[in-house]
Amino acid sequence: MADGIAGPDPVGPAPAVRPFLVTAGRVADAGGGRALPLETQVVATAAGLDALGRLSFERHDIVAACRLPQSLAELAARLRLHLNVVRVLAEDLREAGQLAVHVPDAEATHDVSVLRRLIDGLRAVPDSRGVSSDTD
Amino acid sequence: MASGPSPTPEGYRVTPTEPLVRGGAAPTVRPPLPVKMVIAGGFGVGKTTAVGAISEIEPLTTEAAVTEVAAGVDDLTHTPRKTTTTVAMDFGCLTVDPTLKLYLFGTPGQERFGFMWDDIVEGALGALVVVDTRRLGDCYPAVDYFEHRGIPFAVAVNAFDGTVEHTLEEVRWALDVSAGVPVVVFDARERGSVRDALLVVLELALARTER
Repeated sequence: MADGIAGPDPVGPAPAVRPFLVTAGRVADAGGGRALPLETQVVATAAGLDALGRLSFERHDIVAACRLPQSLAELAARLRLHLNVVRVLAEDLREAGQLAVHVPDAEATHDVSVLRRLIDGLRAVPDSRGVSSDTD
Repeated sequence: MASGPSPTPEGYRVTPTEPLVRGGAAPTVRPPLPVKMVIAGGFGVGKTTAVGAISEIEPLTTEAAVTEVAAGVDDLTHTPRKTTTTVAMDFGCLTVDPTLKLYLFGTPGQERFGFMWDDIVEGALGALVVVDTRRLGDCYPAVDYFEHRGIPFAVAVNAFDGTVEHTLEEVRWALDVSAGVPVVVFDARERGSVRDALLVVLELALARTER
């Protein structure tokens, strides 16, 4: 898990540090409807990777883990951080130009063409015996 | 598939500070468009099993904040007291193609009354409400929630040992879901069965979009 990319990783106990010490007491705007969605994709920028040696603790871990794009939910699970801590730090890193944050647009994700692609893609998923639903 | 190459992924809202990450600070890799579905139901009904059956990764667990509406009897103002609670949430994902990735979130906390799952459900394409016919009542909160929010959903009766104790008509009657809500039997352990149940939800979502 040195670089935090894909791979099963059992979830262990929560860290001893209280979540909002990490964010200096700031909280994500949960409940107000403006918090970043769980599936928001984050990916390190070249500047972020360049700055990796100067980043510390959670910020370092987030940028290092985001060599490959992933969702905030995956990031929180893999780094064992509270989801709202990841939201706050991702915003910080974005403002510093070290992380690109791609917020899914509700109109685009509910577009007919996206739904069709998803349906076609899912139909092609084989079942446990290797049979996909569009071959029966 | 999307027609033609597109250097900018469609469907992203450009965040206000994105111009700050231009040039050398450009993202190293283009992420896929993430879409989301929700798997809901009572405690121990097979939500995580269903997520794991179709996910390309072992289901992960993270802590999400949900709002709990306290049902206080001494509340003279009739304003529900709301508290934010942290709950464990299991999820998985499935890469449809390099530009499209499906996330599946199991909603936590439905065994207790009054949770609001907005943080998890916001933007979801649809939901699957997993039902154990021996404990039908456990799924009422989820059915109510998705009906109220107008989110396309189907009821999926989990055939734990290959049998269900009630007919689908009995389940439909007991849950009092509208005629437009599909009720299906599935096996949460079987990838093909979970896939087909999710397809029922997506077909419903598609029909609504095209209407």
